Amino acid sequence: MIRKLLLVLVSTACLLPTAGCWNAKEVNDLAIITGAGIDLTEDGRIELSVKIYLTSPGGTESDGPMTGQPNGDKGTSVIRTVLGINMADAASRLQKMISRKVFWGQAEVFLFGERMARAGLEEPMDFMLRHTASRERSQVFVANGPAKDVLLLTPPVDRSLSDALVSMAEQQTGLNITMKELAQMMVGKSRAAVLPIVHIYPEKDLQDAFPYIAGMAVIKEGRMIGKLDEYTTRGVMWLRNEMKHATVTVKPDESGGYVSLHLLRNHTRLIPSIQGDRWIMTVRITGQDDIVENTSNLDLSEPDHLEQVEREMERFVEERVKLALDTAQKKLKVDIFGFADAFWRRYPKQWMANASRWDEIFPEMEVRLETDIRIARPGLIGKNFFPRQEQR
Amino acid sequence: MKLSRHLRDNVRRLRAVYSDCSDVIFHELRIGGHTPAMLVFIEGMIMLEELDQQVIAPLRDGPGPGPSLEDVRSRTAVASIRTVSTLNELLDEIADGHPVLLVDGLEAALVYGLSHWEQRSVEEPTAESVLRGPREGFIESLRTNIAMLRRKIRSPKLKVITFRLGSQSRTPIAVIYMEGAAAPALVREVLSRLNRIEITDVLETAYIEEWIEDNRFSPFPQLLSTERPDVAASYLVEGHVVIMVEGTPTVLVAPATFFSLLQTPEDYYERYVVGTAIRWLRYFFFAISLLGPSLYVAVVTFHQEMIPTTLMLTMARSREQIPFTALMEAFLMETMFEALREAGARLPKQIGSAVSIVGALVIGQAAISAGIVSAPMVMVVAITGIASFMAPRYTIGIPIRLLRFPIMFLAGMMGLLGVILGVIAILIHLLQLRSFGVPYMSPLAPIQKHGLKDVLFRAPRWNLNRRS
Repeated sequence: MIRKLLLVLVSTACLLPTAGCWNAKEVNDLAIITGAGIDLTEDGRIELSVKIYLTSPGGTESDGPMTGQPNGDKGTSVIRTVLGINMADAASRLQKMISRKVFWGQAEVFLFGERMARAGLEEPMDFMLRHTASRERSQVFVANGPAKDVLLLTPPVDRSLSDALVSMAEQQTGLNITMKELAQMMVGKSRAAVLPIVHIYPEKDLQDAFPYIAGMAVIKEGRMIGKLDEYTTRGVMWLRNEMKHATVTVKPDESGGYVSLHLLRNHTRLIPSIQGDRWIMTVRITGQDDIVENTSNLDLSEPDHLEQVEREMERFVEERVKLALDTAQKKLKVDIFGFADAFWRRYPKQWMANASRWDEIFPEMEVRLETDIRIARPGLIGKNFFPRQEQR
Repeated sequence: MKLSRHLRDNVRRLRAVYSDCSDVIFHELRIGGHTPAMLVFIEGMIMLEELDQQVIAPLRDGPGPGPSLEDVRSRTAVASIRTVSTLNELLDEIADGHPVLLVDGLEAALVYGLSHWEQRSVEEPTAESVLRGPREGFIESLRTNIAMLRRKIRSPKLKVITFRLGSQSRTPIAVIYMEGAAAPALVREVLSRLNRIEITDVLETAYIEEWIEDNRFSPFPQLLSTERPDVAASYLVEGHVVIMVEGTPTVLVAPATFFSLLQTPEDYYERYVVGTAIRWLRYFFFAISLLGPSLYVAVVTFHQEMIPTTLMLTMARSREQIPFTALMEAFLMETMFEALREAGARLPKQIGSAVSIVGALVIGQAAISAGIVSAPMVMVVAITGIASFMAPRYTIGIPIRLLRFPIMFLAGMMGLLGVILGVIAILIHLLQLRSFGVPYMSPLAPIQKHGLKDVLFRAPRWNLNRRS
């Protein structure tokens, strides 16, 4: 028995070096990075800015002696900026500037400056994906200008800048792209990606300036080649099956008013087909909507009137999608909708044979739209209760 | 040693044995006013009035000379009369509180079952209380305890084997089993293990428990102890063997498995849906009580990326001014908690509340605001404490409380890897553990399908014993 016990002790001791307490890092010794911004300087160096959460309680005295709770939820942060020849270099320089161990595990937001994005994202992406601590699920954005400017903001509503950006992206009124999705798009068949653009509102040096997400950056072969405005972005999102929350206002013909619909469920399917030499993509958009407002003279308890709204909504969606298609196919000539992957999955042989011609095929491709929108819940009341008496 | 024909010899021997025993009474009398006899008993352990009226009076006032054994026997109106013929037997009977009658000319002594002494009344066992179900608990008297079982199972198949253990204390022990339900091999094994015990005194079942368990070094109990007759009876009908010891309300059930130690009688008294749900809650918190602080230490010192960001930032703030590492903190708090718990258990009830007030302050707010521990740590310790109170039996709770500390150490050294290593080590030990030949983790390992019905969930009663 004693021998057995000794054996257990010895084997446990042998195990210690496999992990070892030198890997231990107490929370007190960490510099927790909540967000990082990557910019390119004029002379081609990487400027890495990180937002470090300040854990030292600044004013615990005000809390009184007995509570001992962290004062409030709103933590303050500091920004540290370093220059380096690449990401790894900058990151190691960053460590030199900070007394605590730099901890990337909680970095929720990565922002690329516009110049950086235009120069190419492959280099920083390699570092961030290779790094063991950083999260693949952190959100990636492109700043409309230098990333550092966005990082310097302290949005008044949320606890932190990262929180604000993440929750805005997750509401999916704008685009929501994680590090993993970006990498997947960048190595996908079309080698094209989109990233949401962060703007600063109203102006960057104002006290209560805050970031908001609008529009998207189009990235091809790792480089940003263009921007889409907010209107076109919505069309792209319909096509990419990313439209989850939206309120759409349409004006049905001869109804004398507006009807607003809220998306309940929405699904977009890409159905590729090759007929002889023609590559055709059928986009099937199905959705169910709620009606949230009706100021028209339609009685929405009548199936006929409902159908009229449905047709109008379908027209609206198609219009938006067509705009996005036109921009991508004719203007930018980039497949940002994942058409290439859809073809590759369905027709792997044909796709392989024509992979090099994809950039020629895509702009000329015929896209057929099939939209089917249903109104699921017209709301508690049918017609508009308060119609304007225009006769009088 | 055989008893002598002569009363004088026997009495001389007895007086020599019971020298300086002022509580042993030697009452001389003449049967029918003629034959000398001696009544020997221990004061305070007999029914004195009954002895006067039913034994002494009829013998004294009865007819004349020449009483034979049968004659003396039939003269008294006592239901339980035995005869013994050796001195050792005689001594055991006297020690049990039975008055014995030695008659001149007889080579045997008569033993009257008129023992009676003060005993605690049957009360609700405090350690195993239930909301629904019988409220009676075993008491310190072996006879009463056996009777309680017999009242639950009236079948003649309930067998009771009694013998004495302890060369000095000569404590009566009962081995109880159901014929037909318990495997004969199991009963033989229990009896043979009990017979191998070399012990001078048996004051509690724990004295024999350590002799008969399979693995003497394991921290886990390999016999189930209970104070409830209904629990003992339910194990009896399932084919287990119950071991009782005179002088303690705690009885042993053999064999015991890990999962039987995690059951409460209430699992079976409540409806099966409720029983199943509560059982799972118990399993979950059992794991928490073993691993709670270790997981916290591992995550906080090694795997900070696993914590949701918002929580991480709050935790980082609360830990900022703590001088100790998370491991130290956990050790400190857990030791403190165990000390408080032990203090509370040993103190009289009136002072107990004072301990809990001071304790709540020590491991609560004061510790946080003094900057010694962080608030999340206090929460983890509190949750672990509550979880450990959920262990249905004290005996299974102790090893878990103990093992928590080495796992905490492993977690502080190696993170989650250490926690897993600790769990694996415990599992290996549990899997090779046996209780009277029954694998400790059965019916989970080795797997028995029909047994799982009473482990993974509590099957409804009409399905519980069906083996398909």
